[in-house]
Amino acid sequence: MMIARIGILVLVALTGIGFILRTLLVLKGRDVLGRSYVNYTFFLLVSIAFAEFELHVLSLITLALISFFALREYFSLIDIRPQDRIAIWGAFLLIPFQYYFVHIEWYGMFIIAVPVYGFLVIPLFIAMGGRQAHGTVFSIGVIDFGLFLYVFCLGHIGYLMLTSIWQPVLLILIVTISDVVSFILRRGHRITTSRVILIYLIPLPITVVLALLLREWTQIPTHHSIILACMIPMLTMFGRLTGRYIKYDLVGEEEPLIASQGQVLDNLRSFFYAAPVTFHYIRYFLS
Amino acid sequence: MNAEESQGRMHTLVRRFIHLIVLRPLMRLIFGVYTHGREHLSEQQQFILIANHNSHLDIILLFNLLTLDQLDRTHAVAEKVYFSRYKWLFRAVEFLYQPIWIERGTATREGDPFEEYKQLLDAGHNLIVFPEGTRGKPGVLLKFRSGIGRLAVQYPAVPIVPVFLMGPDRALPKSAALPMPLSNFIAVGPPQKLDGEHRDITRHLEAALRDLARAVSRMHQRERTAQPPGANTVAVLGIDGSGKSTVSRSVAESLSESQSVCLISDTLEFFNNSLVRPLQPLGTNVFREAINRAAKNAKSLKLYKIPKLTELLLRNQLYYEIRRWYAPDKIVMDGSPLLNLLAWVVLYRDEPVDQATTARLIEILTGQRSPAYPHDRLFDQFPELKAFWLLKLNKQVLPEAVVLIDVDPQTACDRITSRGEARQVHETVEKLVRLRASYMNVMDTLSTRLNVATHVIDGNAPLDEVVEQARAAVGSADQGEEADE
Repeated sequence: MMIARIGILVLVALTGIGFILRTLLVLKGRDVLGRSYVNYTFFLLVSIAFAEFELHVLSLITLALISFFALREYFSLIDIRPQDRIAIWGAFLLIPFQYYFVHIEWYGMFIIAVPVYGFLVIPLFIAMGGRQAHGTVFSIGVIDFGLFLYVFCLGHIGYLMLTSIWQPVLLILIVTISDVVSFILRRGHRITTSRVILIYLIPLPITVVLALLLREWTQIPTHHSIILACMIPMLTMFGRLTGRYIKYDLVGEEEPLIASQGQVLDNLRSFFYAAPVTFHYIRYFLS
Repeated sequence: MNAEESQGRMHTLVRRFIHLIVLRPLMRLIFGVYTHGREHLSEQQQFILIANHNSHLDIILLFNLLTLDQLDRTHAVAEKVYFSRYKWLFRAVEFLYQPIWIERGTATREGDPFEEYKQLLDAGHNLIVFPEGTRGKPGVLLKFRSGIGRLAVQYPAVPIVPVFLMGPDRALPKSAALPMPLSNFIAVGPPQKLDGEHRDITRHLEAALRDLARAVSRMHQRERTAQPPGANTVAVLGIDGSGKSTVSRSVAESLSESQSVCLISDTLEFFNNSLVRPLQPLGTNVFREAINRAAKNAKSLKLYKIPKLTELLLRNQLYYEIRRWYAPDKIVMDGSPLLNLLAWVVLYRDEPVDQATTARLIEILTGQRSPAYPHDRLFDQFPELKAFWLLKLNKQVLPEAVVLIDVDPQTACDRITSRGEARQVHETVEKLVRLRASYMNVMDTLSTRLNVATHVIDGNAPLDEVVEQARAAVGSADQGEEADE
């Protein structure tokens, strides 16, 4: 446990130093706000570090901030009409509620807050905005979808943290490994079916060994560890694929002028599928 | 004197501190601030910054761009009446931003309206100017007032930096009471130093800001500026055996010296800097290639017709997908689905089609005109058109430039034989003669009725010469465009 704490502290320290360095460079007038993969994964690790030191509130606040950043970026990329402002405010306000339900461990409310109440409230807010009916359905769909992906799906990481912080750590590490492997293998190559299979298969030995090594801390039995280690890279691939399509639709063609757009969405897309499915797998089989 | 100086230094420190520790992190936390091209500003000793004005957030965002030294020496224009509603607000703005206060409606006062600006510029300070003069409609760039041009004439040594802000018009529009957390994008353009008359300068600066705006705001879905289908597309036509696939490939290669070019031929290729770049496979393309093989092996004209038609339609679909996913500067098509289709109509019917009808067909198939279904007599004349119309296949691409390689059918037939491939069903001299006439008819229609740039090249010459001519034809079309702009 001591080693783990030191490891987490080192990660947090590195994140802090990186942040300060970036700020200094920006102050000097240098543009370093490019796309950086590690950004939000580190953010997630910081959140877990808080949890490790019994600072659950802080860790949930960090997660809520990630949700907020992602949602903000998403909303700035979609087209909104003037009367959708109330609904967008509503969507932002749902974030603290969602994480509050995590905090008080009210599972039933946590799981229906967005898909039932959120999805009912947003159309009402849009209708209250009034003025013109044209484009209402589009707005409802777009805002609800953002809420679902960036608040509901990501919120599962927070709930996973409550039982054991090692479960989200395992999830994040496997996702990161899978992402890095995919990043290396995709570079400058045509994507063919065999390469996709390769991208799935190569991280497997690493993730399985990792899951088995962390078994004592995650409290997941051996066979479930192996299944999770094989399942999460697949889910990560689904998330990457979906996320890539969503980003292409929102940001369009890559342009040097707006290179930093879609940065948060890029960083979090691997968790869309992995976080909720892992959570429900663990909840169904292991508790 | 000494006390005053030290007080001034104290103020500077406090101001920098508040900007750095409070305002900027707060802005970043609530609104995302993304910048591009900051180095354009930080390199300047002195500058006049011009930006579009849509919201009260603009000034706060623009101050995000400045380096610490520039913070104290940069001044924006603020309306006195607006900020005087609360005393604390006025003092805060006065302290943090040191604006030039103006009062609306008092412009008639005597003397030079730019007196204060000039004093500041002479002292080596920087200015932030909103040349639109007012916040205006969200997202719309108004016509510039003449003031900025007059100022630029008097200070030719001070560079003018255009900055485009995207997002404040959505985060805090004029009508809204509360700001909304949405990301803001700031693009800093290259600094401009201009001489000439003040009107020209104003016009030039407005154009520079508009260019920047266009580059930044291409992203919004419903507003995304759509190129008309067919723009920047070159189609190479010709009967079979005219060597059009070879020609189109080399044309694509030569065009790609300075731009990215996509070639839609039997295979799909992407060129950049004269090199083939890897592409991700598109599902449509895999399917298309399979169908193409099926068509080539067909035994009769009837069996050939359906796969070939499907292949052509998929080629058209592929065009849109390529534009979406790879966004090449130019697309070279080996045969245009639309024009091939029209030329091929002849093979399946006896009487020739006149030019007026061809033009109408093109307009219908490209979606420029809607016929009155089913009363239009075109539907009786061409039963296939009915199917096209009902299946909503009226989104065919009309290329911007067309090159036809004109080959004697006999030569073409010999070439096909010498290739050693299995001969396709329609590749007989008699059918090729009719096809060639039909192609010529389509080309005439394009150039006389639809204003499409067409080039007919004699394909009987050796292949190298044909390629050379095709390159020259496409190149001349390119230069023509530039001259127009």
